Amino acid sequence: MTEIKIALVGNPNVGKSTVFNRLTGLRQKVGNYPGITVEKKTGSFAHQQTRYHVIDLPGAYGIHPSSLDEEIVYDVLIDKTNPNHPELVVVIGDPFNLKRAVFLYQQIREMGLPAIFVVNMIDEAERSGTSIDVNKLEKALATKVVLTDARSGKGIDQLKAALAFKPNGYAPSFMIPEEFTAATQYVKERTGPSNEYIAWLYLSQKQNKHLDDSQAQEVANARQHHGLNYHRLQIQEALARHASLEKQLAGVVKDPAKKKQYVTERADSVLTHPFWGYVIFFALLLLIFQAIYTWSGPFMDAIDSAFAWLASSTAAWLPAGPINGLITDGIITGIGGIVIFIPQIAILFIFISLMEESGYMSRVVYLMDRWLRPFGLSGKSAVPLMSGAACAIPAVMSARTIENDKERLITILVTPFMTCSARLPIYIVIIGLVIPHEKVVGLDLQGLVLFGMYALGIIAALGSAWVLKQLMKSKYKSYLILEMPTYKYPVVRNVLLNVWDKTKGFVLGAGKIILAISIILWVLGSFGVSERFINAEEIVQTEKPGLSGEAFENEVQSQKLEYSFLGTMGRFIEPVIEPLGYDWKMGIGLISSFAAREVFVSTMATVYSLGGTDDELTIRERMAAEMNPNTGKPAYNFASGISLLLFYAFAMQCMSTIAIVRKETNSWKWTFIQLAFMTGIAYIAALVAYQLLK
Amino acid sequence: MSQHKSINHLQNGETATIVGYGSDEIPIKIYEMGLLPGVTLTKKQQLPFNGPVYLRIEDNPNAIALRKSEADLILIESLVKA
Repeated sequence: MTEIKIALVGNPNVGKSTVFNRLTGLRQKVGNYPGITVEKKTGSFAHQQTRYHVIDLPGAYGIHPSSLDEEIVYDVLIDKTNPNHPELVVVIGDPFNLKRAVFLYQQIREMGLPAIFVVNMIDEAERSGTSIDVNKLEKALATKVVLTDARSGKGIDQLKAALAFKPNGYAPSFMIPEEFTAATQYVKERTGPSNEYIAWLYLSQKQNKHLDDSQAQEVANARQHHGLNYHRLQIQEALARHASLEKQLAGVVKDPAKKKQYVTERADSVLTHPFWGYVIFFALLLLIFQAIYTWSGPFMDAIDSAFAWLASSTAAWLPAGPINGLITDGIITGIGGIVIFIPQIAILFIFISLMEESGYMSRVVYLMDRWLRPFGLSGKSAVPLMSGAACAIPAVMSARTIENDKERLITILVTPFMTCSARLPIYIVIIGLVIPHEKVVGLDLQGLVLFGMYALGIIAALGSAWVLKQLMKSKYKSYLILEMPTYKYPVVRNVLLNVWDKTKGFVLGAGKIILAISIILWVLGSFGVSERFINAEEIVQTEKPGLSGEAFENEVQSQKLEYSFLGTMGRFIEPVIEPLGYDWKMGIGLISSFAAREVFVSTMATVYSLGGTDDELTIRERMAAEMNPNTGKPAYNFASGISLLLFYAFAMQCMSTIAIVRKETNSWKWTFIQLAFMTGIAYIAALVAYQLLK
Repeated sequence: MSQHKSINHLQNGETATIVGYGSDEIPIKIYEMGLLPGVTLTKKQQLPFNGPVYLRIEDNPNAIALRKSEADLILIESLVKA
C-alpha cells in the first residue's frame, strides 16, 4: 500500500474540520506541534490501495500569518524537511468567499506544491440560489475541483477519489513586480529556493523559521539593501492578486438575481443588538453555570461513591500495609479526585463547542471587545476567560487565536485567576465550615459567598490585566478584524469529538500529575527518620496511656504524620504561614496544593488521619473539630477560613497550568512573574484578611 | 475633489463603496478578508461607547466586525443615504 501525506488548508469558517472528520472518522489524534501547543489534528484513511495521512492545518486567510496558529501553515508548507510537509494540499473554500480561498490556493501552488480544490458548504449555496461552474473553476485553477457538503457527507467519496489526481500545468498568477526582481534574484542565489515566488515569500514573511542563521542574514541583507518592508510586500501581493482574481473567476459563481435576506442577518439584529445582545449573552452565561453545577451533580455523586467503593473494597482486598495505603489513599483517591471533574468540564466544553460550531462565539468576541479593551485584552480574550471557569489549561491554549502579542500574553497571564473547577471543592468545604447557614434578604448566605468568590476571580483577572497593560509595551498595533460566519446548526459529531478530545486531554494531563503527587505525598507522609516517627506506638502509649482501639490508632497515625518528612516540611514553613492563621497541618495542604489545588481536601483528609475524602461529611466534621495548636482556636474559624479562601482564589497552585504557560509564552521569565505575582497577591490578601478579622 | 470619508462616517443602514485606505500600515487581514477597493458594504450597527462596527459585504452571507480604529483606515464613497 502506498502512503501519501496530505494537508487540509482553508480559510476559517469554511467547515474544514467537518471535512477532516468526514475523511478520517475516529481514526484521528490530537497532538501538538513540536515546541508549541497549537493543536495538531492528524488522522488517516485508506482509499484504493493508498493510505492517506491527513493533517488538518489551522484556518488561515493567506500564507502571511497574523496569529500564532496561522504561522504553522507557512512553516509546514514552506519547509520540505518538516515532518508534516504534505505531498498534496487540499485547499478548502466556501462558495460565498471563493475569491479568498482561490487567493490562498494560488499562493500554495506558486510555492510549488501540488493542490486540489474543494468548495464546501455547497448545500447552503444551493439553498440561497448560488451555483458554481465546476468546469470553469477547474480551468481557472488548473486542478481538480470537488464540490462537497461535509455536514451531510455529500461529495466526500468524490474527494477521496480526487486525491489521486496529479495536478500540473499551473501558471503563476502573481508576477513579481520588476522593481523587486533584483532582491528576489539575490535571495534566490544566496539561499537556494526552488523558485522566484519562494524567494519573494522569504522577503515578505516576518519570520522564516526553517532558514538557518546565515540564510536568514542574507534575506535581511537583501531587505536592507533594497529598502524593503515585509509588510508592504504583503500588501503589494494581496492587491495584485485580488486585482486579477476578478477576471480569472469571471462566470464561475452564479448568484441569484433576487437577493433574499439572510436568516443570520435577522438573528444578528437581536443577538448582537447593542442592548439585547448583552442581555442574551449574560443570560446564556447564567444558564451555562447553572447547568455546570446542577447537571453535573448526580454524575459527580455517582463518581464519588464509585471511587469510595473502589477504594474501600481494594483496601479490604489487599493485605494491610503501606502498599495498601498507597493504592487506596494515594492513587485511587487521587484519580477519583480528577475523574470527578469530568462532568463539569464536559458540560462546559459542550456549551463552548456549541457556541463555536453555531457561529455564536464570534459574536461574543464582537460584543465583549469594547469592554475588555481598557484592560489590555481583546474581544478574543473572552473565550479563554470563559473556559478558565472550567480549567485554565485548555483556556490558556485557546488564547493562541489572539493576533496581538501583548493581548495574548496578558490573557494567558490573567486567565488562571478565573475560578476553575479545581477551586470549587475547596471553596465548598471552607464556606461550609466558616460561613453561617443563614439567609440574607432571602438569599442563601453561603451561596452568596460562593458567587462572591467567582466575582473575585473576575475582578482579579481584569485588575491584574489592567496593571500588566500599564507595564507592558507592544511592538504591534492591536486590531480587531473579525469575520462573523452565518449561523449553522452544530454538527453533533464535531461537538462530541471536540468534547472528547478536550476532556481526554484534561484527564490524562492532570491525571499524570495527580498520580505523581499522590505517590510523592504518600511516601513523604509515610516515612520519617525522627525518633517520634519510628517509635510512635511506644511514645503514644507512654504519653497517653488511657487510649485504646481506634482512638489509639488515630493518635499514633497523627503523631507519625507530624514527624514524617511531610510533617517536617509543614512545620518548616509554619512560621511563614502562621500570620495567615494556618497551622503546620494546613501548611502540608498548601505545599501539596502547589502541585494542584484540588488535592487540598484529600491532603487534609490524609493529614487528619482519616485516610480519605470520600465521606465529605466526616472530613468536614473532622475539620470543624480541629484546633489550631498555636492560637487555641478552631483551625477553621471565620478569620482563617476567609484567609484560606482568598489564598486559594489568588495563588498559582497548579503545575499543569505553569507548564502550559511556559509552553505557550515560551518564556520562563513570564511564567515566573505570573507565579510570583499571583502567589504574592494571595499571601498579602490572606495576611491582611486574617490580621483584620482575627 | 473632496476629502474621502471613512467607514466611521456611515450611519446605520448606509451603503458605500471602498475607494482606498488612509494609511500604508494597515493589517494584511483587511485585504485578506476582502475589504478591497471597489467592494460595496453596508454598516448595519455599532456597539455603544464607540464599540466595534458591524458590516456586511455585498453578496457575502458572513458579516465583518471592525474596531473604530480599523474602520477609520478604510475610505469610502457612500452610495445611498439611509
